[in-house]
Amino acid sequence: MTTEHDTHPSPAQYWKIAALLAVLTVFEVAMFYIDRELGLGGLNALILISLALLKFVIVVGWYMHLRFENAIPSRFFTAGAILAVGLYLVVLSAMGVVVIRG
Amino acid sequence: MTATAERPRTTIFKRPSSTTGWWSWLTTVDHKKIGIMYGYAAFFFFIIGGLEALMLRIQLASANAEFLTAGAYNAMFTMHATTMVFLFIMPASAAFMNYLIPLMIGARDVAFPRLNALSWWIFFFGGIFLYSTFIFGTSVPPIGPDGIAGNLAAGGGPGSFNWLADSPDGGWFGYQPNAGPFYSPGTAMDYWALGLQLIGLASLVSAVNFIVTVFNMRAKGMRLLRMPVFVWMGTVVAFLLLFSIPIIAVALFMVTFDRQFGTLFFAPVGGGDPILWQHLFWLFGHPEVYILILPAMGIVSEVLPVFSKKPLFGYSAVVFAGAAIAFLGFGVWAHHMFSSGITPVAQAAFGLATMTIAIPTGIKIFNWLGTMWGGRIRMTTPMLFAVGFIAMFTIGGLSGVTHAVVPSDWQQTDTYYIVAHLHYVLFGGSVFGLFAGLYYWYPKLTGKIMNERLGKINFWLMFIGFNTTFAPMHWLGLQGMVRRTWKYAPETGLEPWNVVVTIGAFIIATGVAVFMYNWYHSRRHGEDSGLDPWDARTIEWTIPNPTPEYNFAVSPVVSKLDHFWHLKYDQDDEGRAVRKEDADQIIAELQHVGLNPPEPIHLPTPSYFPLIMAAGLLLMFYGIIYHTTAWGKALIAIGAVVSLAAVIGWAIEPVEEPHDKPGEERSEKVQAGV
Amino acid sequence: MSDVAHDTPVSHHDEHESTGIDNRKLGMWVFLSSEFMFFGALIATYLLYSNRGGFEGTYPSEIYDIPFTSVSSFVLLMSSLTRVLAHNALSKGDQNGTRTWLFATAALGAVFLGGQVFEFTEFVTKYDMTLSSNPAASAFYLLTGFHGTHVAIGVIMLLSLWGISRRRGGLSEKQGMSLELVGLYWHFVDIIWIVIFTVVYLLSVPPA
Ligand SMILES: [Cu+2]
Repeated sequence: MTTEHDTHPSPAQYWKIAALLAVLTVFEVAMFYIDRELGLGGLNALILISLALLKFVIVVGWYMHLRFENAIPSRFFTAGAILAVGLYLVVLSAMGVVVIRG
Repeated sequence: MTATAERPRTTIFKRPSSTTGWWSWLTTVDHKKIGIMYGYAAFFFFIIGGLEALMLRIQLASANAEFLTAGAYNAMFTMHATTMVFLFIMPASAAFMNYLIPLMIGARDVAFPRLNALSWWIFFFGGIFLYSTFIFGTSVPPIGPDGIAGNLAAGGGPGSFNWLADSPDGGWFGYQPNAGPFYSPGTAMDYWALGLQLIGLASLVSAVNFIVTVFNMRAKGMRLLRMPVFVWMGTVVAFLLLFSIPIIAVALFMVTFDRQFGTLFFAPVGGGDPILWQHLFWLFGHPEVYILILPAMGIVSEVLPVFSKKPLFGYSAVVFAGAAIAFLGFGVWAHHMFSSGITPVAQAAFGLATMTIAIPTGIKIFNWLGTMWGGRIRMTTPMLFAVGFIAMFTIGGLSGVTHAVVPSDWQQTDTYYIVAHLHYVLFGGSVFGLFAGLYYWYPKLTGKIMNERLGKINFWLMFIGFNTTFAPMHWLGLQGMVRRTWKYAPETGLEPWNVVVTIGAFIIATGVAVFMYNWYHSRRHGEDSGLDPWDARTIEWTIPNPTPEYNFAVSPVVSKLDHFWHLKYDQDDEGRAVRKEDADQIIAELQHVGLNPPEPIHLPTPSYFPLIMAAGLLLMFYGIIYHTTAWGKALIAIGAVVSLAAVIGWAIEPVEEPHDKPGEERSEKVQAGV
Repeated sequence: MSDVAHDTPVSHHDEHESTGIDNRKLGMWVFLSSEFMFFGALIATYLLYSNRGGFEGTYPSEIYDIPFTSVSSFVLLMSSLTRVLAHNALSKGDQNGTRTWLFATAALGAVFLGGQVFEFTEFVTKYDMTLSSNPAASAFYLLTGFHGTHVAIGVIMLLSLWGISRRRGGLSEKQGMSLELVGLYWHFVDIIWIVIFTVVYLLSVPPA
């Protein structure tokens, strides 16, 4: 823990990041209501997923310090995330088609 | 860092300090002792699973036999497979990984010794929990919606041993809704689902442990691409476990919730989808087959070069092929579902993906052959098993490709052809590989060499028995004999080959008996191995046999792949290996240094808490099955308190006791790891 | 052999090839990598069932209270801020600050959990949506329940560190590493909730 603080964000940055996360969350909730009025459909999903992804990356990168971390954990971590998204998307697409509805 | 850097306090309890006797085993955190316990437990379950297989074979030896009831037969094939996969091959591989990985990377222990003990105890209690189904479990006949009560599967009907039917009977794959609350009432399948949950948890914990060990604990100079292939395969297996166990964990939780708490995940009546179970199970299940085979491949990759007196042909190709198999192995699960109604596109994609696995597998096989090619081959018992592995695994791999072809697979699904295939890769492959390892590393445990003559008898009995058992299953399957069915009619003409198969099964059993005798006999009467009985290549052989408690008296510094070999051999002008003149002297010196550490060595202190924590979990899991009763709830509460107490004790006690405390004589009685 | 006492530690960095990352920290990263597969399976199951129609019972997406969940999501998100502030205070040797922020983090986590308890109670009593209503309800409770269990474990770990710090007047270097580990875990639980909030709450629609 001795060499770390040089590279880690300062408290001021932590607060700024939190403010950014808060703004993004407000956007998310706003999108939910906008979509209710306008029925954006796929566009809404795209925007909301992008916002969630952004928040995800910010927390992992700055709060979990993965951005400042040695390459090894970030590789494992990314591998887990990508594997999970990829595999379960395949499962869902396979099942979405096969499913006998109602 | 201005925080108070105080010394960890000593715990409330006096720490265990014995190095011999029961307590030393119950409280050990030594990777070697843990490996040995894994090994004996695995072998015990191997015998049990083998007896279950013999029961099945006696039943099938004649048409319309009435040796077992239908219910007992279902229970036997379910428990045979569950045992062999989860309670034999996996822990046997864990035994090798525990014992060898620290030795092969030049470490004194794994990264988290107490977690390692926790993994072992959770596994062991998981096995006991699963098997206690034979005492406590019930398998009640379901009452079908059509009013047909008590089908044959749940007992009744002609035959004996019906008491065995009160145990899990839904297959090792636990297909839903058959294994759900409606078609499998009673507690037996709860024992199955929760038992596997415990065993999976043990595997997950040790996966984390081994990954950190390999990445952080290697001796100086032991770069990643200098690690023995066995270590590589162990690492790959750890990653497979890491990413596949959580899937089966969720799936098993869903089963438990369906059965215990009324959720509707897999119940078609309530809207659940049984196909989801198949996806989740095989998402785990296919990586699982590589979890079963890769350690054996690693063992064979160690044994072949030693007994061919040549380096492994294409070391990095073998390593990368292993990693590639693992990676591809995550993308092929639906080949187990070609007959489950997945779309033609999915069938084509999964069929093709499955075939691509043949490429890295083929690379490995050719590298092993290339290793032997032109080598000075010594046909010792470990080498016989390793060569047997290559031949049998190749046959199994080829029959595997035939069911990557979808129309062919439709023909083969649920027939004995599949049974033949999977035993060629798991028995002809994994088990032969494990036996090669047992013979090869026996001196590390005991300082003795196993009897060669008995070893050869053992090998040939197992090899002949194996092929007598499983080769005819190919034709039985192609003739249409279906799996998991306890009877066939005389008119089918299947009886003659079934008689052969059953005879083969008993030949295998004889071979295993010879092995057990050899193991026991050689402990006393075996030839002394010395430090380097096989003229080995890797650094686990640079330390005395049996392995001293501290492993390495001096932390090794590694300069090459096959470091030990290069200590003993030079190359002549034509590139041939020439034994150095002072090789024997070097070995004698290693022996001397290995037994006389120049400096004091500090080892992790034994601990009660892994055992206590696992015991708490065991109580909780029993409680979950009976949670509707008051004493079930009490068990959950007591188990939770015990586990929590263990967590607190664990967190307070340091990994190593400070040196100025009493009770530190532990390592003075340095002793062998057996 | 007679005099094997205990001076050389087992793992000494200069004797080993290593990633340079503390064993415990690397272990935590490795474990968290596998947690993606765990929560992924639960989320996928929810997505599979959430808008599959034709069955009885209330669907979770019919009764979500988005304003309420938005607030509790925000609370959890901000607990990540207080956690890094605790870490930052400790790295400056400010033990009192560390303690304050630790407590704040645990408190925010507890507020989130309280919200979840309230939500579940409402769903069960007011809308009669139980584990057995339909597979979507089963999946909702299992997913958010497992997430809540993770949060609860995190709160307990944070409170333990807070208690240790209070009793001993500060955290040692080793306990500082524990704080980092709990932090990694805590942020991970937070990012899983970021995904759940969007995918399960905001984007989920009842079957047509
Ligand atoms: Cu497969």
